[in-house]
Amino acid sequence: MNHDFFVEMESFQFTKTGQAACGDDIQMEVLKNENRYLAVLSDGLGSGVKAHVLANMTTTMALRFLRSNMDMLQSIETIMDSLPVCEVRKISYATFSMVDIRLGGITRIVEMGNPQYIQLRGDEEVPPISHKTVTSSHWPDRQVECYEIKLELGDRLIICSDGVTQSGLGEGSAYKFGWCRSGELAFAQEAIRQKADISSYALARTISYKALNISKNVCKDDISCLVIYLRTPRVMRVLTGPPYYKENDAEFAAQASLGEEHTLVCGGTTANIIERAVQKKVQIDLASLKAGASLPPAGRIPGVALVTEGILTLTRVCRALEDHEPLDTLPAPARAIIDMMMQHDRIEFIVGTKVNEAHQDPTLPQDLELRRGMIKRISTALNSLYRKETKVNYY
Amino acid sequence: MKKLQLEICCGTSCFMLGADKLLNIENDMPTELRGKVEIRALPCLELCNDSKLGGAPYVKLNGEIIEKATCEKIFDRMRELLDASPL
Repeated sequence: MNHDFFVEMESFQFTKTGQAACGDDIQMEVLKNENRYLAVLSDGLGSGVKAHVLANMTTTMALRFLRSNMDMLQSIETIMDSLPVCEVRKISYATFSMVDIRLGGITRIVEMGNPQYIQLRGDEEVPPISHKTVTSSHWPDRQVECYEIKLELGDRLIICSDGVTQSGLGEGSAYKFGWCRSGELAFAQEAIRQKADISSYALARTISYKALNISKNVCKDDISCLVIYLRTPRVMRVLTGPPYYKENDAEFAAQASLGEEHTLVCGGTTANIIERAVQKKVQIDLASLKAGASLPPAGRIPGVALVTEGILTLTRVCRALEDHEPLDTLPAPARAIIDMMMQHDRIEFIVGTKVNEAHQDPTLPQDLELRRGMIKRISTALNSLYRKETKVNYY
Repeated sequence: MKKLQLEICCGTSCFMLGADKLLNIENDMPTELRGKVEIRALPCLELCNDSKLGGAPYVKLNGEIIEKATCEKIFDRMRELLDASPL
């Protein structure tokens, strides 16, 4: 794979107020061996569970067809033919946008009924170039727009449902026609001007919140925003566990060299090893500690790393990653770790394999997993569920 | 006169065996002891593998190890140290 690029694909959604399920669906997939990154956003007819089923059927089929390089028109016809027909409107309806990025090659975007994509190079728009309009003989009233574009390092693609562009519709003269693509574009450009390296997740979130805000915080339609960002990979290093041989401590500690924002130290003994190497003390703020906290408090070695306890915290992080638990519900140290992981693309685990015998004491109130197995689970979750690149080195 | 120095271990074993209750010790401190101790949480005192010691959670008060530490044990030792050498 091309290691100078990382394709960060993240999304954010709001469900229509009063509905139990989001009527839009987003699915993404990385085909590493082919250097391909696929994403589909679909908006199902109506809202709620029925719309979600339509949207989910669409994204699932579209992703499968993209993956297998099926002919575009045939794919779309199959999707349309498969969706149930609405009794009222007599159409099988789900709009969608499909993105197929080939690193070093052409990126294909196919849209049916969704707002037109936005491509940004820095804060400058790269306007959609001429495209092909395809009409299916099965569904003559539905038009499909096909684009072929070239993405460069630093480019972003923004794809959204009409819940974003039509937000604010009817909310007074400022939004006579809703926020529109132009409003969304200007807002995204401003967000990038404020923070040039804003992550895909942060941009998708801020766009979605703005759309909600324009609708006076009542979500009148499902809001979905997908952002794809081609960037130089952001590397994070997690140091956890003391090395098996003590003489390797210095080499191990030397890995804590990426700076505080990119380095995480998990484990008390590990923190002590780093403390000695960098000759700086861990600072733990007890003032912010809440009574009955389920995890030991996090600290920091200023300028060097975020520091947390080891196996209890990693176990909590693993569970939260595997179960997609919302960040706000997590204890502060686990939240800080996941937040840090989500801001990075490539996560390197530097794992000391020495076992703390005290952790194997059968009188401890709960079983403690061995660090190696826990890191393997976290690495797998980051890889398969969050599309992060991971590497594990043992000491 | 220097304040007493209390170091609380935040390592895994200590936290699981009761250090979680020690971290809020300042709030539970009797009035006469308040303001007389400086509290620091440390990532690990690395005492849990020492079989000669009595068991986690561990704290150090002015460098002296307190085993199976509880708030009451710490308060008692603080009183003794303050009686011997008042601030």
